[in-house]
Amino acid sequence: MAATRGSSRRVFELFVSRIPWTLTTKELKDYFAQFGTVRKCMLPFDKETGFHKGLCWVGFSSEEGLHNALQKDSHILEGVKLQIRQQKPRSFRSQYADEGVADMS
Amino acid sequence: SIQNKQAQNFDWALNKLDSSVRRTGRITRALLLRIFHDMCRTGYPSSNQALLLLRSCGSLLPEVPLCERTELAHMIWGKLQDLGAVYDASHYNALLKVYLQNEHKFSPTEFLSKMEEANVQPNRVTYQRLIAAYCNEGDIEGASKILGFMKMKELPITEAVFSSLVTGHARTGDMENAENILSVMRDAGIEPGPDTYLALLNAYAEKGDINNIKQILEKVEKMEGNFMDRDLMQVIFSLAKAGYPQYVQDIMSHMRYERGYIPDAMNLTLNLITQGLEDTAFQIFKSFPSLLSENHSESSMDYGNFFLRHCVTTDKPLSKLKQFCDELKEANMHSSPLQFTLYCALESKKADLAINLMKTMKEEGLPLRPHYCWPLLVGYQKEKNVQGTIGVLKAMHELGVEPDVETYTNYVLTNFDDIQTFRALLQENDCPFETEGLSVAELRHEAIYGTLENVLSLCKYHQFSVILVECFLLFFSTEAVGYFLYNLIDSMSDSEVQAKEEHLRQYFHQLKKMNVVIPTNIYRGIHNLLDIYHVPELIKVCGYINTELGVSALEEELEKLKAEKQPIGNVLKQLIVALCAEENMQKALEVKAKYEPDMVVGGYAALINLCCRHDNVEDAMNLKEEVFRKDSSVALDTNKYLALVQVLGKHGRLEDAINILKEMKEKDIPIKDTTVTFFFHILNAAAMRGGVETVNRLHESILMLGLAKPSTNLCSPLITVHLEKDDVPAALEATIDCYKKYGTIPRLHDILCRLIEQGNTDLLQKAMDFMSQERGEMTMLYDIFFAFLNTGKYKEAKKIIETPGLRARPARLQWFAEKCIAANQMETLENMVEMTQKLFECDREQMYYYLLKLCSKLTENLLFCSIRNCYSSDSFLFTENISNDWQKADATWTKMQEENVIPRERTLRLLADTLKNNGQEVPFDVDVNALLYATSMQCDIAIVFFFILCVEAYNILLEAQKKYIMFPPSAYSTLIKALLAEGCLEEAIKVKNIAETHIKGFTLNDAASSLLIITQVRRDYLKDAMSTLKTVVESDMVPIPLAVTRLIQALAMKGDLESICAVEKMVENLAASIGLSRMLFVNNTVLAHIKNNNLDMAVEYIEPLFISGMQNPDSPIPSMSYVFRKVIEERLEPALEKLSAMAERLVNQFGVYKPATDLFLQYVDAGRVDDARFLLQRCGGIAEQKKILMAFIAKSSQKPGQIKETRNLFVMKLLDNDLASAKTLFEKVKAANIHTDEIFLKRLAVLLRNAGEPVPFTEPPVSVFSD
Repeated sequence: MAATRGSSRRVFELFVSRIPWTLTTKELKDYFAQFGTVRKCMLPFDKETGFHKGLCWVGFSSEEGLHNALQKDSHILEGVKLQIRQQKPRSFRSQYADEGVADMS
Repeated sequence: SIQNKQAQNFDWALNKLDSSVRRTGRITRALLLRIFHDMCRTGYPSSNQALLLLRSCGSLLPEVPLCERTELAHMIWGKLQDLGAVYDASHYNALLKVYLQNEHKFSPTEFLSKMEEANVQPNRVTYQRLIAAYCNEGDIEGASKILGFMKMKELPITEAVFSSLVTGHARTGDMENAENILSVMRDAGIEPGPDTYLALLNAYAEKGDINNIKQILEKVEKMEGNFMDRDLMQVIFSLAKAGYPQYVQDIMSHMRYERGYIPDAMNLTLNLITQGLEDTAFQIFKSFPSLLSENHSESSMDYGNFFLRHCVTTDKPLSKLKQFCDELKEANMHSSPLQFTLYCALESKKADLAINLMKTMKEEGLPLRPHYCWPLLVGYQKEKNVQGTIGVLKAMHELGVEPDVETYTNYVLTNFDDIQTFRALLQENDCPFETEGLSVAELRHEAIYGTLENVLSLCKYHQFSVILVECFLLFFSTEAVGYFLYNLIDSMSDSEVQAKEEHLRQYFHQLKKMNVVIPTNIYRGIHNLLDIYHVPELIKVCGYINTELGVSALEEELEKLKAEKQPIGNVLKQLIVALCAEENMQKALEVKAKYEPDMVVGGYAALINLCCRHDNVEDAMNLKEEVFRKDSSVALDTNKYLALVQVLGKHGRLEDAINILKEMKEKDIPIKDTTVTFFFHILNAAAMRGGVETVNRLHESILMLGLAKPSTNLCSPLITVHLEKDDVPAALEATIDCYKKYGTIPRLHDILCRLIEQGNTDLLQKAMDFMSQERGEMTMLYDIFFAFLNTGKYKEAKKIIETPGLRARPARLQWFAEKCIAANQMETLENMVEMTQKLFECDREQMYYYLLKLCSKLTENLLFCSIRNCYSSDSFLFTENISNDWQKADATWTKMQEENVIPRERTLRLLADTLKNNGQEVPFDVDVNALLYATSMQCDIAIVFFFILCVEAYNILLEAQKKYIMFPPSAYSTLIKALLAEGCLEEAIKVKNIAETHIKGFTLNDAASSLLIITQVRRDYLKDAMSTLKTVVESDMVPIPLAVTRLIQALAMKGDLESICAVEKMVENLAASIGLSRMLFVNNTVLAHIKNNNLDMAVEYIEPLFISGMQNPDSPIPSMSYVFRKVIEERLEPALEKLSAMAERLVNQFGVYKPATDLFLQYVDAGRVDDARFLLQRCGGIAEQKKILMAFIAKSSQKPGQIKETRNLFVMKLLDNDLASAKTLFEKVKAANIHTDEIFLKRLAVLLRNAGEPVPFTEPPVSVFSD
């Protein structure tokens, strides 16, 4: 027991924006792998247009990976500067917590 | 109010256009059209708005070719005029300006006569522009004529007129006279200004006379007059257009780069590109990068995107694009110009250009990726263009880019009905058709859209590779994997299994590695199969994926191993787990005690969890200590720790619980989102029990240990615990405390509501002070507003929301609206919507949307309930409630009109759905069409909404008729249909008469006529119905079959044989094509005979049909179920006896079973079980009529409720002891893709189990009907 299976552990997420349209999941995954093991890399495509939306969530399996990536000044991939920031863990019912107003539970 | 609305709209449109012009000096076609369509939609374009739009159709559209701009202007002109815009001279002048800017050729005299027709007086500006129009054509004579008018009317001649004359003379080729105009001006007392000189400059530019241009420029500079950059740009444009780009640089050197240079230069660039002068455009563009830094909106270091994009839009050749890209790249102005150009090509779906660009990129050594082609494929996918899709794939192949799984799955395969055809097409086009990507995609596609059979055959076809397994796991559950495995092995032959043994072995290993465990019943099935195939080795490995052997089997195994002195750890664990699964705590603990030395951690974990579940805190803790004595480094998984915390908390063992939390921290137990949720539940449960200390201490420990971060939700039990005790003051204290400690304010809304209910004004004041101090007054007002609303204190709520200066906070309003929707608080929501009417910046449409959403939800709920209870006596009540809520939706709709709120698309859709769900047969699509149509016919938008409420629409129509307003024919048809659907026959006829007298050649369309027939039949106006049908047929329309059926059935009930014959004749030629069965007439003729008490005639008429049918095996056997049903329903027992005798006779003498089987099923259907049984006893062969029985089951499976269950059960019981038939029946039902209901499956499972066979599907839970 205590089979702490990998997939159930917390993921440390990085939010990447301003991704040029030419890049896809593979390039991003390869790039961010230099900072730590990338558990997931989600780059949603718009099925209406066939282009992605320029936003990506990169999940590291360790806090260290995330930290390393955040430490780096600028991330330039194929000549384009990517914007990154830490993705706040999306907690239970976060839509209300994020609103910054009194609780309404 | 209309004027008010217009004014608002005007401001909005003006702002939109204005800001675009100010920012960029131009307007895009898309923006212009959007504003135009918005204006059309509101239905009342004002003169101002018309003017605004017209003015925008000239040089403000540099990206649009000249002639298209003029077309736009004309379109807008016509449409707005239809909508009632009134044009005055300003509009005509604006149109003239547009003509001039667009170099549109037109006849000034015709233009003048048009104005005259419209009774609009031309003014000075009109004449000036007409002169300019003549002069642009070099028509001095025409210009003089207009000049004559002006003099006659004593209108002053301004510099603009002279400037035009300069142009006019220049265009006749007479430069001398053009120059002379300047002295004429001076003679007339007007000093030539920049406009005149600009005209002269342009004139020389058109001649390519750079010397004279330079001279004029110098002269003007000496005169200290100034040309603006914008003027010089005109000269540049003239030079380029006349074919003298070599002089452009000379003019450039005179630029002063004023403010606003960039937008002007951009427009010049775009305009040049539009008119095919892209080289000059590029030259201009290159002159401004140094300035661009303050105006870059696109990518941070790339300049020229607008340039490249417009070149793509205007279809510049590839070589040109390549040249621009190269230069941009060389000049370091753009980092990836080719990629951007490709992006533009893809965006505008220019496939050829895109593919050629990719070729170029490949030559340049730039990477190409499969997703570059997705935008093209998306386009073809939408238009179902197979050829296009294949073309792209072919190009990809030629480019060396192999499509990946995503490409096939998301953008290609959905375009093909059948994958074999697709493969063949690929092969035809020399594309690879056996790549792994395609195979996986195919599997995925089949898994999503296809049938299991196809998936299986694919798996067999490709040999299951690990990828396929992963694929499968990715998309399905482990259960599906089990089912898949079972079917896979089942579909293989002995030899195949043996040949593939190694494959299967790897496969099982793989599954084990992936920790896949399949459900026991499926495992057993697989086990049995493998047993049959004699592959004992495989059986062993197969065991890996099943841990759930039965308890007794495990016990035996355990004893056996023990006896053989072999290690028992693993089996012991399995046994414990199995016992836990059976919730047999007593036995599990005994087993543990018996074999304690051999216990492994896994067994302990399961046991601990079991004890927690059974509230057995003592044993749980003992077990935990026991396992830790064995190995102190052991860690349980998160949920087991949490279960311990929960049970400890419940039993008041607070310190132990806290120790567990500490241990979680020490052992670094992973915390997930669900863990935090679990924490919440633990705390909340403690709060519900009222344990203040427990809640506080646990909460504190969780946060202190850093197991979770403080959130509103996690903190809320701290307050709940007080609220549960109804100690509101303590609750308020707690929430204020929470704010100080964690910055959250949990459950404030509930506290406020309680305070209001209790009338505790002091504390309420305290809470409000606290809120307004910490969160601001606005937040506080909203909080108190919601609390008043929620407690039904509407008057107070209204006062709050009307506080001056309060503005809409969409997020807060949304929160409360959604809370109301979730809690079905209709009245509260209605009040909120009403009260916020005057709230500043409140999105009214959104508010009404919330209301509709709740209406829709309530009706859905009720519908759901009523379906579930459709056999209970409550159904009437439900229907009534539904209609209440549907009426509420409708009232909301009316209110929206009152407020002049224009609904967004999604609101329309929601309403349509609500209507449909309520069985309101209102064809909304038609109404949307009518809406557009009606708007364009300049009638109130409201009438269209009223169409939904047909009675209202009817009233409006009558009203409209009085005022001689006419609607499009389709509106009448729609209304008539709606009225008929409501059963309002007289009204429908009245509308029909109005339409017929007012619209030439108005006829009801097919659908409306058919509805009319149905309504007439319902009202028993059979003669009228027949004549309507006659009209329909005679005017070559096609009635819907239902109309004919209803008519015939009604005639039969009257015994009117003659009319049945007449109708049959009428539709003779149509019957086959609209799918009217001949049996319709036969059966109803029989019924008519029966109704006339002519039983012998009836039998004589029908019996020969069956006998002759038997002799001709190709023709389908006629069915007279309808006759049986009617006779049973009408309780015509003598007739039933006669018919029953006939059916038996047909069985006994001719072996024709159809009528007897039909009769049997009708008995079952009507619940006359005894009659059915007797019939079955007399004609045992009925049970052999599988095809008919199956069809019956299939049909009745689609009906709701338990009646079908009993019916099917009954049929199944007949086959009870006949497993083979039951199985074939099941296969057939499955193959026919018929949804099998639970009772059927259950029954089959019982049969299979009794026969010792595996059950290849998930068995439904036991229900009361199981036997």
